[in-house]
Amino acid sequence: MANYYDIDDILADEELVPAVFLEAVNGVGLFESNEANRVEPRSKVELPFWLARELHLRQAVSVTIPPCFNKKTREEIGADGAHVDLRSRSSYFYELGCKIVQLMGDKSIGSLLLVAFQTRYKEVLIKAHTAASSLTPKFLSSLTKEETKLYDAAKSSTAAFKTWRMGGPRFQKAAVLGRKRKPIGGE
Amino acid sequence: MSGQSDPRGSTFSAAELEFLAEDETIEIVPNLRMERLSLICGDFGPFRPQIATQVPIWLAVALKKRGKCTIRPPDWMSVEKLTQVLEAERDSASSFEALPFHYVEISRLLFDDARDDIPDVYMVRSLIEDIKDVRFHKIGTGLEKLSSRTYAMKLNLSAMEVNVIRPFVTGGLETFYKLGNPDLIQESSDRPEHRRPQPADRGPRRELRR
Repeated sequence: MANYYDIDDILADEELVPAVFLEAVNGVGLFESNEANRVEPRSKVELPFWLARELHLRQAVSVTIPPCFNKKTREEIGADGAHVDLRSRSSYFYELGCKIVQLMGDKSIGSLLLVAFQTRYKEVLIKAHTAASSLTPKFLSSLTKEETKLYDAAKSSTAAFKTWRMGGPRFQKAAVLGRKRKPIGGE
Repeated sequence: MSGQSDPRGSTFSAAELEFLAEDETIEIVPNLRMERLSLICGDFGPFRPQIATQVPIWLAVALKKRGKCTIRPPDWMSVEKLTQVLEAERDSASSFEALPFHYVEISRLLFDDARDDIPDVYMVRSLIEDIKDVRFHKIGTGLEKLSSRTYAMKLNLSAMEVNVIRPFVTGGLETFYKLGNPDLIQESSDRPEHRRPQPADRGPRRELRR
């Protein structure tokens, strides 16, 4: 488990994963149109990961691998990982992948994640340190949350260095200074 | 020691590094007569006109601003030395020349306040800019080789260079570490390039996030 208060960990738990119910379940409001309020066995649903994991461990559902780790994605990453739009597949591609591996024990996903990050990392590095202010929106929109964080960190540290080198004011004036004092006691 | 400007305390701001660099000593030639200064960081002086002495840069700059001294630029800040360094930097693709840890900050401090004391100031300035650009480029290409098997890097990097790349490198390494966890990875033969013979005495991997 990652840090309990890690917001990204919490949000990654919200990612939907496909699951198949193994048993009939009563009293779940998954389908609002369903009057009987009952889920039949072998019905396919998309559940948030935190729910799917608990039900999977109790053998109430069987989780299947989410579509973002399907064969097509694997082939695309194998071909040119740097230009795959991972965000449209899952903004928490890496985090979700780690969780799925721990749950399902499919270690080929783990290697896929590592290969994907290794190829994409370089692209992030080059773009973050070179592309000055001309943002590359297409590139940015294909990054997952984790990569975006990395990109922003590199970007802001480079930008801070550049502004320092350009000069500019050494001392910043505190907001309280330079304000006229109000006369005490009356208007 | 960590920076105050960043809430997580993981990085310094450029201004903070400049502040740290001001503790380096530099040679000045005072033109005033003053007693020895006993400071926490050491004793400086006594100051006699035309007798060179070593002081911290912050003191040198303060005296210089009041017209009480001339600053002698450090040895490495000469056109010949910097040209040599630049040549060497360009020749080797991976190693870095030994420059002072705070060379970026010191050169900026001196360029701001002691331009008239540096011979060939424009030349020196552009040389330092070139050296800095070459080194940053090399750092960038070096970082591309970073991988989950990276354990340590030893380079002659300066404070500012390290600081600029720090957020990226730590973040990248942490992700590599997380994804390279042996629980997640199939140690199969389909990726032979990552299966180098490993020394047995590395010890257990430390868990960063669990």
